[in-house]
Amino acid sequence: MAVRSAVNPGSTDYARFEERFRGAVARDEGMVGVGAVWRVRREAILDVLRFLRDESGLRFRMLTDLTAVDCAPVRDGDRFDVVYILHSLERGDRVAVKCAIPEEDCRCDSAHALFANANWLEREAWDMYGIEFRGHPNLKRMLNHKDFVGHPLRKDYDIYRGQWLSESDDLLDELERRRELDPRPVPADRETMVLNLGPSHPAAHGVLRNLVELDGETILHAIPEIGYLHRGFEKSAEVHDWNQIVPYTDRLNYCSAILNNIAYARAVEALCGITATDRTMFIRVILGELSRIMDHLVCNGANLVDLGALTNFWYLFNLREKIYDVIESVTGARLTNSYTRIGSLWADVPPEFSDSVRNVLREIPKAVGDSEKLVVRNRIFIDRTVGVGKISTEEALSFGFTGPCLRATGYEFDLRKAYPYDHYDAFDFEVPTGHQGDTYDRVMVRFEEIRQSVRIVEQALKMMPEGPIKADHPALTIPDKKQTYGNIEGLVNHFKIIMHGVQVPKGEAYVASEAANGELGFYIVSDGGQTPYKCRCRAACFHIYSAFPRLVEGGMIADAVATLGSLNIIAGELER
Amino acid sequence: MSSPYAPLIVALFLAALIPVAFVILGSRLGPRRPSAEKTTPYESGILPSRLPGDRMPVKFYLVAVLFLLFDVEAVFLFPWAVARHRLGDAGQIGMAIFFAILVLGLAYEWRKGAMEWD
Amino acid sequence: MGLISRPERPELRTGVQKTRRLPAGASDEAAAVRDAGFVTRFDALLNWARKNSIWPLPYGTACCAIEFMGAVDSVFDLSRFGAEVVRFSPRQSDLLLVAGTITYKQAPILRRIYDQMPEPKWVFAMGVCASSGGFYDNYCTLQGIDKVIPVDFYIGGCPPRPEAVLKALLELQKRIESAPAAR
Repeated sequence: MAVRSAVNPGSTDYARFEERFRGAVARDEGMVGVGAVWRVRREAILDVLRFLRDESGLRFRMLTDLTAVDCAPVRDGDRFDVVYILHSLERGDRVAVKCAIPEEDCRCDSAHALFANANWLEREAWDMYGIEFRGHPNLKRMLNHKDFVGHPLRKDYDIYRGQWLSESDDLLDELERRRELDPRPVPADRETMVLNLGPSHPAAHGVLRNLVELDGETILHAIPEIGYLHRGFEKSAEVHDWNQIVPYTDRLNYCSAILNNIAYARAVEALCGITATDRTMFIRVILGELSRIMDHLVCNGANLVDLGALTNFWYLFNLREKIYDVIESVTGARLTNSYTRIGSLWADVPPEFSDSVRNVLREIPKAVGDSEKLVVRNRIFIDRTVGVGKISTEEALSFGFTGPCLRATGYEFDLRKAYPYDHYDAFDFEVPTGHQGDTYDRVMVRFEEIRQSVRIVEQALKMMPEGPIKADHPALTIPDKKQTYGNIEGLVNHFKIIMHGVQVPKGEAYVASEAANGELGFYIVSDGGQTPYKCRCRAACFHIYSAFPRLVEGGMIADAVATLGSLNIIAGELER
Repeated sequence: MSSPYAPLIVALFLAALIPVAFVILGSRLGPRRPSAEKTTPYESGILPSRLPGDRMPVKFYLVAVLFLLFDVEAVFLFPWAVARHRLGDAGQIGMAIFFAILVLGLAYEWRKGAMEWD
Repeated sequence: MGLISRPERPELRTGVQKTRRLPAGASDEAAAVRDAGFVTRFDALLNWARKNSIWPLPYGTACCAIEFMGAVDSVFDLSRFGAEVVRFSPRQSDLLLVAGTITYKQAPILRRIYDQMPEPKWVFAMGVCASSGGFYDNYCTLQGIDKVIPVDFYIGGCPPRPEAVLKALLELQKRIESAPAAR
């Protein structure tokens, strides 16, 4: 399955980089899915990142992920490794940079000036591991609450130790700091109003909180606070078997659960060095695209409801029910499917699968067409969404945008085309892009992506081969019942997998798939055991939401509501 | 009950009676369990950090006043539209003058930018 | 995965002032009346009105909120039972329908929203995360909302099917009509 890395690891650009930073940089052992891994000395990290970002041959413009690993149980030296995963979209290449941090002097320089999304990523690393980032403008708790003591992802933090919170953070200190940074201060005679668009709000899509400072209807400053749905995915993954983590991945972006299952299964399969069978890949594509369609239906339906267009909600949700019927007949569940396993699927599709999918595919263009017709030339919709929440491609890349939000800015980047997996290169489909990255573009890109997904599913149904769904790897996939009862090897393999779980070899991998919101990546570190050593989810909407203040400041509250709906922020994925 | 105003009087009477009845019924029939928490202002589950000040931006007032003006104009237009035939020329001319004054006002405030929010 | 009725009133543990929530219709006389099994005509009228116009506050945090949206859509149609009007303000709603995981960070918010609702009010814990923490037994997840607010019905499932939500609503309606109206 090898995830493609376009560039030869020994290429001249890398050699030039290593030469430039000789003494501070050393090549490290490989990470699956990434072109090269370097270990960098702490003092040189900002220079290294700047060089990688700006140097003409390298151009690693996007910080895909920034996380840390607690190495206390496995090595005696520096306790933490801060891991930066960078992505060069033009070259089609990813690299990783690691920086060792000792526990006694737990500090690293902040990269927030180089990459806009490093701000939030570093806050999360501080919250989870306790690594202080020097120069960070606002190093506060991100996912845990303000009264939390300790750093939960450290290996010595007991997973069951919960801590109560009595009163929410009022965020006024952040507002003060934000005001100080504002180049245009508010005139002294203006009285501004400070309001919570809080966690219990119809247009806040679940649990997103924003403290906004208003001048009339205009938002001067917006302070987002997240963490109200932080459910400890990473820590839970560290105490569960490889296959037991699949239900946890369902609940990341719960509107399109199968896409998360697929992304996780691919990452672990890459680490194991196995490839799923062709039939499995095609089934994953079909169900994955149906999930993508469902996610876009929810996003657009909810967004239009926020704008006041309730009819679309009914149309699109009825369509969702029809797709649910198909998915339920295959996976047994409507919403949270847990369908993939490492190396295979939970079960093969039922015999009437093709017909039921074709029936649903006939319904989709009609319902989506009806809904789109109501809005695409609707004066009110256009006035409320065109030019609202605009962002340029440059800024979007700096924030780490991927998926429909990036494509709405006009930049055509889709992991299914750039790094094809699961036979996506065999399908004929287009990647829709927008013009100026505003709310209108985001909504329309999603409508169009639904149509393209329908095309993919039609082609996949025609091409789907017969054959087994389990990869032929006795240590990873449970043998068929015939084998289990038929011969001793089957019995032993079955026993070992059920009793000891799947054995994933030592190593690490970063593998990303195109989920409904963009690049959903899993950075997995395995120590050869039954459970992952670290299972980090690179959530697409975390990066997108970090740009939210930039998108809404200067606009009105109603614009903020429209923008928030169009970004498709799913709290399960945002806060894991 | 042949007076043309009879339906109006009945409507006014009902309009006065029904809300009063709802308020009285609600206060009599609903359980009464006040508590300090219950009377805190609602701000999406968080206690408001700052109560709103006394002053509001004047833009809100402007929008409200403009709405009021044109709403009252509409209130006058409706009966005139219904009774146009019976009012004859005098009615036409009178309404035309009234309308023209208001259109002039609309043109003025449009040009002045009072319809723009910022 | 069925419905379990409300347990003993739990200890309320956040720093916020405790609310003494009494069961619907509880005062000494009302309790006596109920024990005597006697509901007056007027009570029946009030109960009929209340049970057919339960306005939910969908306190949706996670995946269960999507299934709640499924319960409201035209296939499952919650509005047949009068519960269509969802109101996100606690002052205007009767039923706090907690759909999704509640974390320790969210708990004070939930408690305050519950406190701000006027009587009579009911609470559903939709889904296993709201009922008992679900499979998130860890440092950040509240192991059941009954640690901070009293719950009338627990709806099991991860997420529960929309039919389960409808069933819970019907059971609530039965409970409302069988007790003297809270006044």
